[in-house]
Amino acid sequence: MEEFKSLNRRSFIRQSLTLGAMATFGAFPIQAVTASKTKRLTILHTNDVHSRIDPFPMDGSRNQGLGGVARRSTLIDKIRRTEKNVLLVDSGDMFQGTPYFNMFGGKLELELMSKLGYEAGTFGNHEFDNGMESLAEQLHYANFPFLTANYDFSGTPLAGHTKEYIIIEKGGIRIGLTGVGIDVTGLVDPNNHKGMTYLDPVPVVNRIAKMLKENKKCDLVICLSHLGYKYNDDKIDDLKLAARSRHLDIILGGHTHTFLNEPTRVSDLDGKEVWINQMGFAGIRLGRLDVVFNQATGAKNIMALHYTVDMNESQLV
Amino acid sequence: MKRAVRWYPLFSVALLLFSCKTQLHHQVDKGQYYPVNASIVADSSIVNYYAPYKAKLEAEMNRVVGYADNHVTRNRNAPESLMGNFFADALLWKGKQLDPAVQASFATKDGIRADFNVGNITVGNIFEVMPFENAVSILTLSGTDMLRLADYMAKAGGQPVGGIQLVIENGQVKEFLLQGKPINPDAQYKLVTYDYLANGGDYVTFFDKPIAREDYTQLLRETLMEYVSAITKQGKHVQAQLDGRVQITK
Repeated sequence: MEEFKSLNRRSFIRQSLTLGAMATFGAFPIQAVTASKTKRLTILHTNDVHSRIDPFPMDGSRNQGLGGVARRSTLIDKIRRTEKNVLLVDSGDMFQGTPYFNMFGGKLELELMSKLGYEAGTFGNHEFDNGMESLAEQLHYANFPFLTANYDFSGTPLAGHTKEYIIIEKGGIRIGLTGVGIDVTGLVDPNNHKGMTYLDPVPVVNRIAKMLKENKKCDLVICLSHLGYKYNDDKIDDLKLAARSRHLDIILGGHTHTFLNEPTRVSDLDGKEVWINQMGFAGIRLGRLDVVFNQATGAKNIMALHYTVDMNESQLV
Repeated sequence: MKRAVRWYPLFSVALLLFSCKTQLHHQVDKGQYYPVNASIVADSSIVNYYAPYKAKLEAEMNRVVGYADNHVTRNRNAPESLMGNFFADALLWKGKQLDPAVQASFATKDGIRADFNVGNITVGNIFEVMPFENAVSILTLSGTDMLRLADYMAKAGGQPVGGIQLVIENGQVKEFLLQGKPINPDAQYKLVTYDYLANGGDYVTFFDKPIAREDYTQLLRETLMEYVSAITKQGKHVQAQLDGRVQITK
């Protein structure tokens, strides 16, 4: 099997310098004008990876040969070498789907996500499959936080193991992150979520997003969601959450295993656009959203530069 | 004094620009995605990290327990499926071993997570079909609750069952037979299912007041493995079939 040899430190530095020099030279005329005014954030995301550590086996099935955590690692490394501000997150259902979960209980999934440099996640319903006590034990293998703002774990083994929100600062950009999960009643064995209270995600997200934007002065607010992309009945989904929200900029979703070829844009209560994205399942795709930050002036010129850079990146894939 | 007054506004502007952090305006660009496929070389440090886990896992998972003559598929949109029938038959087989009075088995489409391809059936294949740590439960139900089960199945457009025949018309139960006989609402019936459903999973409500409930430690996954092994021991192959146990006529 062909494998990627990790770059040693010297060749890595040499390559970064070359790339840096090329970037500076190539974009010089515009960059000289805009460098101080624009900042750029690259968000990478997955959902519903479902313990798919190896690629799908070559057995004639629909997804044969796709996915694989070691390939995802290569891809993320490559993007981190070319982009300064990269954020990597997951929207839940990391567990269940291959025997790796049954044999090792979630430890391997969390260790590998930690190695890949995930910075936040949220819980999907399958995280509860072995019960809350087991989940609380497995969380020790993760070096990143889990955001579960609409689950009240008071008095359960998970109390104190998750957070409502975090703030990550990258290159002068303040990113507020929260996370919400689905009502697990009927989805998870009642013994496995006993004592946990599900809260309506809409007021929870609005309260946190307002606080992140107004009090904590975040430049961007992202919600990791395991609610599901769309239901035809009243059940809350990412589309409804976006439409009923304020101060929220991006929803990175999961649960419905929806492959969105491009993000969906929904107007919130103030008529502002919320971007929603979801990447199917099993790590078959790695999602990417680029956000350009600028002072209000001269925005048009800056966007032009931005699109050029992106087209080049697409060719790299 | 005059000098100081003139500098004051300038100082304020500087303060506004540099001291107070103003929030940035942002614009999200068109999102993109990367297909994760064989064109991307695997990161050897990650492959090496999980190699010991993989070796341990493969030793167990590659063990062959049987052989499938046909592609045993699931189908959420059909009243019955090959995998659904196979699964429900295995459950009924085990249920009768544990309690000879068991007459029917019940599972749900959403609980069955993979197909069998033609060829060897390995422990790994069975794990993928039934990844959950669910165990067998045997319930004693009133005829009334059996009829509630029939209604649930009609609304769901069929669910995997054994020992049961159901005809659905316009989303309603047209005919419901257990071991070939109609249900007597006042009689008692024994049905094998698993703890997740007995506890109300998959929006099951009709197991809320069973006359009796017996929970076994026998995992569903072990049940499937034993069922396939028993077929293999008889020198046979797995041959799942559609037999019209659940039909939608309109």
